[in-house]
Amino acid sequence: MRLLLFSVPLALGALALLARRRWASRTALLGTAALFLGTVVAWAAGADGGGAAGWLSEYFAVDPAGLTFLAILAVVLAGASVYSLFYFRERGLTPRQEAVYAAEMSVFVVSMAGVMLSRHLALLWVFVEATTLSSALLIYFERRKSSLEAAWKYIFICSVGIALAFVGIILLSIGSQGINSLFFSDLGRRAGEINPFWLKMAFSFILVGFGTKIGVAPLHAWLPDAHSEAPSPVSALLSGALLNSTFLGLLRVHDIMVQAGLQGFSRALLFVTGFLSLLVGAAFLLQTANYKRMLAYSSIENMGLLFLGTALGPAGLYAALLHSAAHSLSKASLFLTSGNILALTASKRIEDVRGLLHREPRTGWIWIASFLAVAGFPPFPTFLSKFLLIRAFFQAGLGWLAAPLLLLVVVIVFGMGGAVFRMSFGDPPEHAPDVRMDASALAPQIVLLALLLSIGVSLPAVVQALIQAAAGFTP
Amino acid sequence: MQSLLIVLFGTTILYMFAASRIEAFIKTLALQGLLLFLLVVIDLHEINLANIAFLGLETLAVKTVAIPLFLLRVIRRNEIGREVEPNRPQFFRLLLGAAIFMFGFLSAFWAARTGSIGQPLYFGMSIAMMIASLFLIVNRKRIITHILSFMTLENGIFLLSLSVAHEMPLLINLGVLLDLFVVVYLLGIFFNTIQSLYDRGTIDVLSKLKD
Repeated sequence: MRLLLFSVPLALGALALLARRRWASRTALLGTAALFLGTVVAWAAGADGGGAAGWLSEYFAVDPAGLTFLAILAVVLAGASVYSLFYFRERGLTPRQEAVYAAEMSVFVVSMAGVMLSRHLALLWVFVEATTLSSALLIYFERRKSSLEAAWKYIFICSVGIALAFVGIILLSIGSQGINSLFFSDLGRRAGEINPFWLKMAFSFILVGFGTKIGVAPLHAWLPDAHSEAPSPVSALLSGALLNSTFLGLLRVHDIMVQAGLQGFSRALLFVTGFLSLLVGAAFLLQTANYKRMLAYSSIENMGLLFLGTALGPAGLYAALLHSAAHSLSKASLFLTSGNILALTASKRIEDVRGLLHREPRTGWIWIASFLAVAGFPPFPTFLSKFLLIRAFFQAGLGWLAAPLLLLVVVIVFGMGGAVFRMSFGDPPEHAPDVRMDASALAPQIVLLALLLSIGVSLPAVVQALIQAAAGFTP
Repeated sequence: MQSLLIVLFGTTILYMFAASRIEAFIKTLALQGLLLFLLVVIDLHEINLANIAFLGLETLAVKTVAIPLFLLRVIRRNEIGREVEPNRPQFFRLLLGAAIFMFGFLSAFWAARTGSIGQPLYFGMSIAMMIASLFLIVNRKRIITHILSFMTLENGIFLLSLSVAHEMPLLINLGVLLDLFVVVYLLGIFFNTIQSLYDRGTIDVLSKLKD
């Protein structure tokens, strides 16, 4: 089953590239999404990925944390794949362009799945590198000068980052010479034997390296550019799945630090980067004039929240994982809707968008609802996760830190809300491209929002159990 | 012998900082490749032959010959101005390079005192090379200089991975993989595209996206 998860999307992508027919590209996109959804449901229902060859199950395995992020990936991917059909139509892509898109997408998705399933640090690193290379092509998909600029910054900054993460892995192996293995299980079990000096150094390098990929401040320079220049379904995947997948990698290394009794060191670093991300997110979000960049800065802020949660131990990690799921789904919905707005107005500037509710009421209402979902208004689950996060602060005796956190979150909600409502109300401009929204442009966001509501209103037992297992936390 | 080679590798930092022509920088890159090749041959006689052959091929054929030649061809074809932009007097650049080189030695001593590392000089010089490369990436404006500095960063990392070659041969091979992938990507696809879309090879043209 694990092998299928890798081979089927790649085969479908190759088929699409060879056939260069519309049906083949669409089969590749939707088939991959269906496969991921099916696999996640089967695994969550308790079917293990049996039947794999020996070496394969040694290197790839499903654990609760991996499954949590794989489930997020599957849902966001399904939304983005369906939405891609609208993107194809609206952009008038040729069959060849569709085929290239589908093939690049399948490599991107497989490399993210690889990150989530890897049980070996070096292998995980290889897959993180693979996500960079495959997503850079998708960011440059529209072949504009500005998208080339974004892709160049992305690939260069992330390559430097990933090289530094590799230094971290080398330093870790210098410090763990007796263990002589980079399997997470070995490193975690024998973490006490690793030389603390080298382990701290290794964690710092891996934090910088993976942090670049996660997009936390001050390593976020590529993120707003890439998110605003990529096609909207790709932006949804970047924000909803790619950032998370590398976050999982960092989480696994952080776990080694905890096992080695060095959590004080890693927590301090996570706190600093987390708060810095909130600060940068708030400062830039208020002054950006581009609504896709605004969403990107909000992603930086939310990655900061995940870092803070991780730093607070199991209770905070539970909040962080719940927040990660809630943020991914709502941010994916926002990015997909931003594709609608871009199609309706042909502009990414907030100033150029007015009266969405008059022009296209369905898009307008989805836009507002998705904003409420990401901002943490009840009954959406971001409310619950932020509440749990603040409670974790108080439980850890750090209640005073919750004050700046809340202040920054309020600033961000205020800034984003102002822009969202200015775009939604008012009178639409006279001249605008004539675009018809079809089901593929609206249904994915509606389904994502419905899922969020169902999680927020009554946390389903299976979701709760999964996240609790992943966080190692029982309330 | 190893120590001598490693220190020689470290002194190329001075050359990287002092060089005011891109061609000179590229030749430094080739020299580093050659030094790494010699280190692989001298140092790694214990690991298996196929692996040594692979690494030797990578350091000699790719790092020493192919990449420098390719870069020379690129700068000649695209008529990139030959000067590395002289944004500081040469004396200060050299001083800075020397300071980083010094820091390399200091961190080697420092690492040796933790007692857990077999060959501290590898660690010290590769840290110095990484700092120097990152400094050049941040401080210089030309895309070609960025790529060259990235290559020297990779060389520094390769040197560090040599120090754990006996325990984890896997890691060196991964480093090589990183090298090849990024070379193909940075040079082959993006750099050529940028050169053909924009006339000038400085990052000033890449400043449309901002708030």
